[in-house]
Amino acid sequence: MSVTPLPASRVRTQDAILVVDDIVKRFETPDGILTAVDHVSLSVAPEEFLGVIGPSGCGKSTLFNVIGGLLDGYEGQVSVAGDRVSGPHPAIGMIFQEESTFPWRTVIDNVAFPLEIAGVPKAQRIERARHFVSLVGLDGFEKRYPNELSGGMRQRVSLARTLASEPKILLMDEPFASLDEQTRLLLGDKILQIQQQLKQTTLLITHNITEAVQLSDRIVVMTYRPGRVKRIVDINLPRPRTSEIVSSEAFGRYVAQIWSDLREEASRGLRDTESRVLQSGERRP
Amino acid sequence: MADAGKLTVAAPKPWADPVTAVRIVIVLTILLTWELVARSGLLYRDVVPSLLAIGEAVVKLIGQPDYYWHLGVTAGEIGTALVIGGLSGLIVGIALGGNRLLARAYEPYLYYLGPTPKIIFFPVMIMWFGVGPGSKVAMGAISCFFPIALSTAAGMRQIDKVLIRVGKSFRANAWQMATKIYLPAMRHPVINGVRLGLGVAIIGTLLAETKLSNRGVGFLIIQAYSIFDMPRMYAMLIVLFVLAIGANALVARIGGLDTIRQA
Amino acid sequence: MTGVATAKTRFGPALLGIGGLVAVLVLVEILIRAGAINRFIVPMPSEIGASFERVIVEEDVFGRFWQTMKEAFWAIVLITIVGVSTGVLLHRVTLLRRATETWVAALASAPTVLMYPLFLVIFGRSALTITMMGFVAGLAPVILKTIEGLSGTRRVLINVGRSLKLTETQLFWKILFPAALPNIFVGLRLGMIFALINVVGVEFLINFGGLGQLINELAERYDLAGTYAAISFVVLISVVFFMFTEKAERWLTPAN
Repeated sequence: MSVTPLPASRVRTQDAILVVDDIVKRFETPDGILTAVDHVSLSVAPEEFLGVIGPSGCGKSTLFNVIGGLLDGYEGQVSVAGDRVSGPHPAIGMIFQEESTFPWRTVIDNVAFPLEIAGVPKAQRIERARHFVSLVGLDGFEKRYPNELSGGMRQRVSLARTLASEPKILLMDEPFASLDEQTRLLLGDKILQIQQQLKQTTLLITHNITEAVQLSDRIVVMTYRPGRVKRIVDINLPRPRTSEIVSSEAFGRYVAQIWSDLREEASRGLRDTESRVLQSGERRP
Repeated sequence: MADAGKLTVAAPKPWADPVTAVRIVIVLTILLTWELVARSGLLYRDVVPSLLAIGEAVVKLIGQPDYYWHLGVTAGEIGTALVIGGLSGLIVGIALGGNRLLARAYEPYLYYLGPTPKIIFFPVMIMWFGVGPGSKVAMGAISCFFPIALSTAAGMRQIDKVLIRVGKSFRANAWQMATKIYLPAMRHPVINGVRLGLGVAIIGTLLAETKLSNRGVGFLIIQAYSIFDMPRMYAMLIVLFVLAIGANALVARIGGLDTIRQA
Repeated sequence: MTGVATAKTRFGPALLGIGGLVAVLVLVEILIRAGAINRFIVPMPSEIGASFERVIVEEDVFGRFWQTMKEAFWAIVLITIVGVSTGVLLHRVTLLRRATETWVAALASAPTVLMYPLFLVIFGRSALTITMMGFVAGLAPVILKTIEGLSGTRRVLINVGRSLKLTETQLFWKILFPAALPNIFVGLRLGMIFALINVVGVEFLINFGGLGQLINELAERYDLAGTYAAISFVVLISVVFFMFTEKAERWLTPAN
């Protein structure tokens, strides 16, 4: 199968800080070999915010785990600043979709966790953790436990925790999946603000178009399984941005454009699921 | 946990509380019946000694410095057994809980060997570890190994997988994963396992002491039996039960204190 | 992903498990023959295997097994009668339950088997002592699970009964009790297991009875291989008993 030709909006490999080169990942299932990611390449420039969007089943999470070094057994390679990734890379910080704060640690101890792993002495790491707690807007909550916080606040703790490890690249997999729309928009604001302040290179994987357009400099649209790059879109919305951008005309046009690409893939996905359910006679999980 | 706005009800006075009243009635009835049986001479004389005699024996017992020495010996054996059985149980539990193949291969052995009477292994323990404290510690250790290993393995499996991925994404090494993620994440099942383990370690160690020993609380009990000092035997059993139930409650508390912080 | 098990995944782990066990036995055998392990402390697995037949025949293992089973049987009968009826009683009389439930829970975690010297004095060195020790050990879980089962009946089922104007007694026997049966079985199973464990254990300790006594005797005779064989035999029986009651419980409580 030929790969869809990519438009000119691509980062030169020499300039890129993250290079994902021709990744192919297959899984063995009882129904045969499943190709989750099929020859996907992309690159991220320093300080860039890259969004990766696709329908459910397009291999986004697989890609996330491959880049993050939590999956192996794939073809192709991932490199960070020229250094090949095999296993979780120190320059990559991951934020997961699910609730991931440690319930038995306070906010400050959660955020200090990566520093603790790295062996930073206590006083220093608490000091640095405090900085990031403040950065995500949770001043005063240092001694609280996650179960005392809202979902949005807990995701902020996870964000602060990953930022505390000062990664060159922030890799996020649908971090707002469990939150309501308003919280999403506001958190999106927060992330934009932080990203612009820290000049943090970020790769966001999501299925939410509004979110992707709001936050990204470029968007990679993926096809339904097997996941390939369908199109790369430059998002030329002004920076610095806030969540107010969602009401602008240009924003709407970008969303429409991406949706038209995505709809095709999403309906393929829907038909595929329906036919599988019909065939197997199983109840949909 | 905000309790603003909660209607507070005045607590009933302790002596008027019906539950307490019933408890007192039950206890008094039992004590009265006991005393009647003791004085009636219905049963063989000292099998049911009078409450006075038992009371005296209890007082005498807890006043005896000798007793505390034996108690210390037993406590030491139980403690050591818990450490040995507990640590090996934790390690095996983590290994089995973390690896599905190993678990399916070997956990059934633990699961089915668990509910067997461990005391029957005592002759083997004597052969291997001698007639001294070693065999008693060994009995306690093999008794508590099983519940702790099984609870730990089960605990590992119920850990939220994302927490493990967080640890891996920050490149924690095996020791850090175990101490900073696995153990805290499964502290409840592990504490429960330790509670069970404590219970069976107490039983295993004490039974071994009653069978073959010249020191410890178990030895004292059998000694009282052999000289037919019944009040003393009752006294020792009463004190032992109070301590055992107390220890159990203590461990439960330690585990439970945590739950105040948890959702 | 449907869970289609291939032959490899079905039998692989079991083979690994048995293989590991066999490997350990072989290793021990080799080490003993080589003199690395003292054969007067650990008899060779082959010797232990060989002594099985001898022990079974000479020591009347089946007779002893029967003896142990009789003692356990009566303990279980007592546990069932006393345990379930006490559980029912405590459930019905709420005040009594609130007063005594924590006591019963404490009893469940108390080292009751340590009272065996006391029971020896009261009941003598006899099968009765052993049965009573089994009874005391297995009683608490039955009471607790009976109460739990009865209290846990879904509200809606009780309301159905009330709406049909059943009397309290009918309500109990036709709705509450059947609904509680799964829990009661779980409790009975726990009680049975504790009873058996304590029966065998006390037999060993007081040197009277069936299989437990056999182990003690063989040990006192310094029949090493025989002792190990007898212990293995008891472990085997206990495992079979446990598995059997597990299957029975699952068969009797399909809703779980």
